[in-house]
Amino acid sequence: MSTVSTMLRLPAVRRTLAGAAQASQVCGRTTATAASNQIEVFVDGNPVLVSPGTTVLQACEKAGIQIPRFCYHDRLSVAGNCRMCLVEIEKAPKPVAACAMPVMKGWNILTNSEKSRKAREGVMEFLLANHPLDCPICDQGGECDLQDQSMMFGSDRSRFREGKRAVEDKNIGPLVKTIMTRCIQCTRCIRFASEIAGVDDLGTTGRGNDMQVGTYVEKMFMSELSGNIIDICPVGALTSKPYAFTARPWETRKVESIDVLDAVGSNIVVSTRTGEVMRILPRLHEDINEEWISDKTRFAYDGLKRQRLTQPMVKNEKGLFVYASWEDVLTRVAGVLQAVEGKDVAAIAGGLVDAEALIALKDLLNRVNSDMLCTEEVFPTAGAGTDLRSNYLLNTKIAGVEEADVLLLVGTNPRFEAPLFNARIRKSWLHNDLQVALVGSAVNLTYTYNHLGDSPQILQDIASGRHAFSKVLDQAKKPMVVVGSAALQRSDGAAIHAAVSTIAQNARTKSGVGSDWKVMNILHRVASQVAALDLGFKPGVEAIRKNPPKVLFLLGADSGCITRQDLPKDCFIIYQGHHGDVGAPMADVILPGAAYTEKAATYVNTEGRAQQTRVAVTPPGMAREDWRIIRAISELAGMTLPYENLDQIRKRLEEVSPNLVRYDDVEEANYFSQANELSKLVKQQLLADPLIPPQLTIKDFYMTDSISRASQTMAKCVKAVVEGAQAVEEPSIC
Amino acid sequence: MLAATAAARGLARAALRAGVGPAAAAAVQARAAGGSAAETRPTVRPKNEIEQKQLCAFGEYVAEILPKYIQQVQVTCFNELELLIHPDGIIPVLTFLRDHTNAQFKSLADLTAVDVPSRQYRFEIVYNLLSLRFNSRIRVKTYTDELTPIDSAVSVHKAANWYEREVWDMYGVFFANHPDLRRILTDYGFEGHPFRKDFPLSGYVEVRYDDEVKRVVAEPVELSQEFRKFDLNSPWETFPAYRAAPETLKIEAGAKKEDAK
Amino acid sequence: MAVAGKGAVATAVKPIFSRDLGEAKRRVRELYRAWYREVPNTVHVYQLDITVKWGRNKVREMFMKNAHVTDPRVIDLLVIKGKMELQETINVWKQRTHVMRYFHETETPRPKDFLSKFYAGHDP
Repeated sequence: MSTVSTMLRLPAVRRTLAGAAQASQVCGRTTATAASNQIEVFVDGNPVLVSPGTTVLQACEKAGIQIPRFCYHDRLSVAGNCRMCLVEIEKAPKPVAACAMPVMKGWNILTNSEKSRKAREGVMEFLLANHPLDCPICDQGGECDLQDQSMMFGSDRSRFREGKRAVEDKNIGPLVKTIMTRCIQCTRCIRFASEIAGVDDLGTTGRGNDMQVGTYVEKMFMSELSGNIIDICPVGALTSKPYAFTARPWETRKVESIDVLDAVGSNIVVSTRTGEVMRILPRLHEDINEEWISDKTRFAYDGLKRQRLTQPMVKNEKGLFVYASWEDVLTRVAGVLQAVEGKDVAAIAGGLVDAEALIALKDLLNRVNSDMLCTEEVFPTAGAGTDLRSNYLLNTKIAGVEEADVLLLVGTNPRFEAPLFNARIRKSWLHNDLQVALVGSAVNLTYTYNHLGDSPQILQDIASGRHAFSKVLDQAKKPMVVVGSAALQRSDGAAIHAAVSTIAQNARTKSGVGSDWKVMNILHRVASQVAALDLGFKPGVEAIRKNPPKVLFLLGADSGCITRQDLPKDCFIIYQGHHGDVGAPMADVILPGAAYTEKAATYVNTEGRAQQTRVAVTPPGMAREDWRIIRAISELAGMTLPYENLDQIRKRLEEVSPNLVRYDDVEEANYFSQANELSKLVKQQLLADPLIPPQLTIKDFYMTDSISRASQTMAKCVKAVVEGAQAVEEPSIC
Repeated sequence: MLAATAAARGLARAALRAGVGPAAAAAVQARAAGGSAAETRPTVRPKNEIEQKQLCAFGEYVAEILPKYIQQVQVTCFNELELLIHPDGIIPVLTFLRDHTNAQFKSLADLTAVDVPSRQYRFEIVYNLLSLRFNSRIRVKTYTDELTPIDSAVSVHKAANWYEREVWDMYGVFFANHPDLRRILTDYGFEGHPFRKDFPLSGYVEVRYDDEVKRVVAEPVELSQEFRKFDLNSPWETFPAYRAAPETLKIEAGAKKEDAK
Repeated sequence: MAVAGKGAVATAVKPIFSRDLGEAKRRVRELYRAWYREVPNTVHVYQLDITVKWGRNKVREMFMKNAHVTDPRVIDLLVIKGKMELQETINVWKQRTHVMRYFHETETPRPKDFLSKFYAGHDP
């Protein structure tokens, strides 16, 4: 009795239906029907024009009237099994399910008639017949659709005297807690899993009163988007395990912010209470994350409370760290900086650093005549390098995938490097027949793709037109080439970049798309990289290895790309960051900084879209905002930087790169042909080593940066993936 | 004119005296006749038309006598008579209501204020009067702002003394000709008027005992704990259209009298 | 300026006591004089650890804090409040803590420049 579609694409009929369903949505990516063949229907007597195939529910939505529903969800296929959306149609013999019924010409939909209200009340009564009355201990309380709708549309008294059904809880991993007795079988989670996450783990068994949602056999729900089923669950059947029994939604404060654990820049809401992050929820942004976020974004927040640097520290003679005051450490750092000049000072910026700290650091080092500013992430500098913005951005934009018809992925595993970008690809593959090809290790991307092999030589073949896939690219109407940043970090990165650039340029000219369609795309993995390149940081630490400095400033550099062994013995290392991770132990002085929930900061995502995080909680202990620390050092070193507050430093950012303060705006990057010309100058040979992205399976996804490495939840996820969900099972209290 | 007043008076008095009996009978009747209609809303107070009519009549009568001061007369849904008057008319209106044969509101039950910062005259001063003679209550309302003095009612009702001190202390409304206007509730040295809407809930200062100076000191407030605030909006608000604001208390305007002038 | 303001105020609104700015100023001076005379007595009665000069300077400081006020009605209200304070002080309704509250002895001033703000805490 499984209603789940297989991982294969939807049959054509359903696809068109889903397409029509999307037409009325905000994004409206499918072509709108011409005004001429619109049909007129009436909602409570008010005329409204809709395109044919629109459902009753969408027509009402257009007229500004919302029909109650449980199973219907904008971004999922229509199931029509909760019956909550029953409405009366004038002159129809019985009420119809608004979410599944397409409108006919001239229908008069009565959304608030006696019959409609009675139907809702009846359905609600049936739903509540088997729903436990445990709202006081339910984590969904206060944000529960069933609660809200029973208040609005339900009956005010009960006539139910019988016993209630009970269902066994399932263990589907360390993230999602299931209390299946509360389930109302709306099947939203099942549809989400099979349609958006692309993991056919969930389904229903049994029928009638015995119907259950579950995983058939005891197993973990293994998806990088699994947390979203908590949000779409209209009742408290699926709730968050780490958040269980910690807070109520009405007593938390919500701060709209940006996620920085990958380069997508998902929009999030940080819920806090008494100066502590209680949970992270997605925020709607049609162009980036729609309304989903990845599990790392959602659940790594407990890493913000552990392993934190809360006080400045200095290494003493015995090589042990001792606590010190801000005055002491800053004076010491300033003294060290005053004694050196030029090439003797260098800095490395890590993956979670904001643009404000980057510009402050750059200004500070420029004051001592040094320009040794590097990022941890490598990017080829041969050819046009990072001089042209189009060379290092996801130019097509994340939403652009929905328009593309052919996509070539090179040396990347978007499913774990950018889960929401992957969800977009899957959406496009599902609804728009996107053809995907992959050069690199064969990984499970949740959709079928044409695996061209994992040798970089294939790129050369495609570029020169010898490969069979060249023809596919040539015939494409809107081709897209996405190369993972990991592929460019090999020693032949420049050659790969050049080859991909040629492929993209060829595809662009042959397909004859307009100049507004970009083909070449880079998919970054860390949040700080684009802003750092925009500000003129040098990618990669090669320069520092060749030219070991006397003073090294590590700004949240935690990937361990440089070690004590690479540096002279007397090198003075300053570490500034928020976690005692890889970078901190090798430092002489540790300056505690703020994490992304604790500062108002600018981040630029892989598309080149500047967004800002906001202060949700104050930094722990004596930690301070990163740019303020650098500004304080500059003052003590006698080279005061000319900004004292956020507005002033943002003004400085604007001077250097105006796009960094145009929030939520993507600055178009161009000059593809010029970049390609320059890349032809690259005289580098492609190596024979296979292109292997760093994150191959879901096990590699959870812990990639200092925050998620400090998170217990993420560690549990890794353990559950490796050893099975029962390995992390906790004694259940409820 | 006289005849009209007499008639009105007669009506008001007769009804006031008869008070309970007919009203209760009417309510019973309504329940019996209405049947299901009354049954469906057991928590809603039934409307007492007769009492409302009497109050309207008396309100009209007072407004006719004092057209210069009374700007509006209204009866609330709970059958309470309200006179909205000009601030200049406090003494004459209160005196009239106290001394007139048909009013006899000799007792000032309460005097308070309401702060509505969005209004031009932000403070509403409310006088609740009780007539023991006729077992009846009336409410007189007037208005002022932070700087306009209001005439003290102490000369009419002795009870107003401490009430006015309280209003002065809590709202900062100045009462002219008050015999002893000074603070009544707040501590000496307290700054600001706590019942004003722009006064922060946490106040401006906090007090503690200081061991060094050996006395209680007041310092600018610093909250060591998060201020409790409830955000009742669900992040998954599905039906904003259905979540209309709760219906505001409707005021049924009784006999509406424009200021004669 | 003052004349124009006075004219407008005098016609438009009901005065509290003073009809014009001059009259209001006179009331302020009267109050100031009363306070000035009261200071030695206060220091004595409350056994304060301050000199009379400090006390008079504080009185002056409190009056100068409102030196920018020109509306006679606002001045009147301030004078009324000042009189009440004076009454509370003269009658020894206040206690030492209330009188000494004017001097803010135990308060630490808020940091002003970037570095001291940085050392002090998170607030900008």
